[in-house]
Amino acid sequence: MNLKKVYVIGKKEFLDNLRNKWVIAMTVIFIVLALVASVFGGKGSIGGMEETVMVLLGIAAILVPIISIMLGYATISGEVENGSLSLLLSYPVTRTEVLLGKFAGLGTVIVVATVAGFGIAGAVIVAAAGTAKLGSYLLFIFLCVMLGLVYLSVSVFFSTLCSKRSTSLGLGILIFFWSSIYGTVILGAFLATGGDLMALATGQAEIPAWMWYSMFLSPADLTQTGVMLAFGMKSAFGYAMETPAYISLPAVVVAQVLWIAVPLILGVWRFRRRDI
Amino acid sequence: MPATGSTDVPAIEVRNLTKKYGEVVAVNGLNLKVKKGEVYGFLGPNGAGKTTTLKIIMGLVHPTAGDVLIGGKKPDAEVRRDIGFLPEKMSFYDNLTPTQTLEFFADLKNAEKKEIRQILRDVGLQEAAERRVGGFSKGMGQLLGIAQCMLGSPSLYVLDEPMSGLDARWRKYFKDKLKTINQNGATIIFSSHILAEVEDICDRVGIIHRGRLLFEGTVQELHRHLKLKPKLEIMIEGLAGKVPEELKGMEGIEASASGDWLTVVCDYGSRAAVMSILERKGLKILDFRTSEPSLEESFDLLLASVEGRR
Repeated sequence: MNLKKVYVIGKKEFLDNLRNKWVIAMTVIFIVLALVASVFGGKGSIGGMEETVMVLLGIAAILVPIISIMLGYATISGEVENGSLSLLLSYPVTRTEVLLGKFAGLGTVIVVATVAGFGIAGAVIVAAAGTAKLGSYLLFIFLCVMLGLVYLSVSVFFSTLCSKRSTSLGLGILIFFWSSIYGTVILGAFLATGGDLMALATGQAEIPAWMWYSMFLSPADLTQTGVMLAFGMKSAFGYAMETPAYISLPAVVVAQVLWIAVPLILGVWRFRRRDI
Repeated sequence: MPATGSTDVPAIEVRNLTKKYGEVVAVNGLNLKVKKGEVYGFLGPNGAGKTTTLKIIMGLVHPTAGDVLIGGKKPDAEVRRDIGFLPEKMSFYDNLTPTQTLEFFADLKNAEKKEIRQILRDVGLQEAAERRVGGFSKGMGQLLGIAQCMLGSPSLYVLDEPMSGLDARWRKYFKDKLKTINQNGATIIFSSHILAEVEDICDRVGIIHRGRLLFEGTVQELHRHLKLKPKLEIMIEGLAGKVPEELKGMEGIEASASGDWLTVVCDYGSRAAVMSILERKGLKILDFRTSEPSLEESFDLLLASVEGRR
């Protein structure tokens, strides 16, 4: 693999998104969202880091995946459909270089917009409400970036399976609803195995270990839990409770890394074998 | 590989190539050779398997069976450095200008960026060099497609329907450009479904139908093979449905008459002879027209001859 080729393709992908104003639009959305959340959290004036993130987390866990899916869902399929990939792949580049380059370029878009957006908002919060929990806020930004890269990796992988933008869009929507579909399945399994939600909520029963582990298959829930851990908040699945020791911040980050790496490897594997 | 034998290595060798898409056989045991330094016309009706074959040559499509050698080597990324490819269905990145597009591709090919300005001038896009590609017409897109092929002066050009979308003036210009490129030593293979597009610039042609090669040879050989003959129709005063005696004895001529119209089917070279015979006889020619056999007719003939042999 030639890293210069990866860089050339990644650079073009990033510059494309600068030119079409995506990067700036995302950055502005993140700034506005974080500041609005902060004002909500601070009950009328800019709140501290913890109050801000408490409000921001739920919406960020939806918005970041949406943006990543929109960036990535047609990466390969769109270019197969319009023919630009026939040209690109006739050049002295390997398919691995092309896919990794595109992921790197789009990933940079996510990193830049998230860090700039939440970072600028963070600076405003620091100026208004002080530096309390600043480290936790930086972890929140990091976990959001990772969440974006997870969804980007999954949608880029799915784009290697399709030849049309429209089918890709369908799969993108499926990816977006994955967390809620999956959550429903897990909840159903919990109830079907004799679980009692009321008992959980009132603290009379413990969440079974398999449910804790199942969270690793839902990147959005995982990220939210990671942020809770970063702020030392004790709640999960919307309820106040103690997380078991195996749900730790490093475990969350390792799971996110796997969620980025595995779909990307599958994508490369699939892309190398397909016809254009 | 011994240096002495290298001139015998074909620029492209396609060996027993087969590509199936499910039940559909797009390419069926195809063999062909493009010699170094020649212009090879790859002919066939739409859906014959031309694009699939060219895509396999470029590594875009994986063959079901058989393989392709480029300059004696299995095609990989490094081999593609020396090839200029023009896909049939092509699209550029809408946000980029032609200059930016060529800079991107030059980076991928490690080609000199200094030549970009000259290439854009060569294809006549210098006026549009800083406009976004998104607003381009099909013809302008095709010109940019040709421009990107020329980056790094490759020694092999693979062009899929390069003249579609170009008007007559650009077609002429494009043919001249191909001739120059060829004279400078590059090998060219290009596909077309129009015989007239290829016959005056191709050293050899290959005709493909339903994924099989029906014919490979020079254009003259093709004409001989197809026994292609143009039709000459002449309006003669007072002909009254009779074929002049002088034409009946001529070799390679079929003449028939209907009213004042005389129809003569003959070789390209014999048409002038026919006209002078008629004039010498003192017949008054009121009008005449010629019709060339179309490629479709030729394909029909070729198919009929192939199927007749079975």
